[in-house]
Amino acid sequence: MAKFFDPLANSSSRRDFLRTGLGTVAGVASLASLQGCASAIASGAATPLEPARNRPIEALAAIDVPNGGADPIPIPWLDRNGSQNQSPGPGMEPSNIFHFRGQVARSNDFAGMGTDNTGRRIAFGAKSTDFSFMSGEYFAGRQSRRGAFGHI
Amino acid sequence: MTVIPDGALTVSADGRHASVELHGVDVIDQPQWPAHDAAATPARLRFRIEWDATDERATYDDPAKLFRATGWRATSRLWASVDVPSTGFQWTSDAIETSHAAFGFIGTEINGRYMTL
Repeated sequence: MAKFFDPLANSSSRRDFLRTGLGTVAGVASLASLQGCASAIASGAATPLEPARNRPIEALAAIDVPNGGADPIPIPWLDRNGSQNQSPGPGMEPSNIFHFRGQVARSNDFAGMGTDNTGRRIAFGAKSTDFSFMSGEYFAGRQSRRGAFGHI
Repeated sequence: MTVIPDGALTVSADGRHASVELHGVDVIDQPQWPAHDAAATPARLRFRIEWDATDERATYDDPAKLFRATGWRATSRLWASVDVPSTGFQWTSDAIETSHAAFGFIGTEINGRYMTL
């Protein structure tokens, strides 16, 4: 993948990255956060003066440890490849977490254009460019809790 | 999956419109994923995504898998910016209105134990 980020790489390589990689970038972050790998997601908090930054979901596992943690439970049958996610679509379950009720939204298979810092026009989007949010009540650590989560 | 902090998610009162905006999302770019030894490069992502319900109602449910989602098919748009500090590569998408998604859904869902309460 280094070739896609190499400043000397040709435009078609970068184009390939952005077509397939924008989803991959986010997907790997999701994987890391769920698997407890060395998470690349930085900690941060939203303030009126600062753009909102995400927090690693592992942080919730450290809350209420005696009862099993406050991190949401993945959909049980989505564990086969470790991503705990499935591509959205008609008939597919929108939520990525189990024991949940609330608002959800999903979308995938984006298409769009952009420009890199050398002025090259590069397309983005793929079937795997997949975003969602879940906001509401979930059950974890023996009690109902409230939270908002995203698959990015 | 990640925690969405306060202020990053907005949902309209009628539940038909929503957006998520996050800045400074540190991610790993790994185009060869899920290859076991796929190389990884740190990158940073900033994005905004929007959903707007259409007039097409949608219900997705599977009693065997204990879920029921009701809502609308949705249009969705994405603006993103990627920064790869190690290479100096930066990329920013065009205005959000110029993007689109082939599939979108917005609504409510109930699953797991809440299906039996």
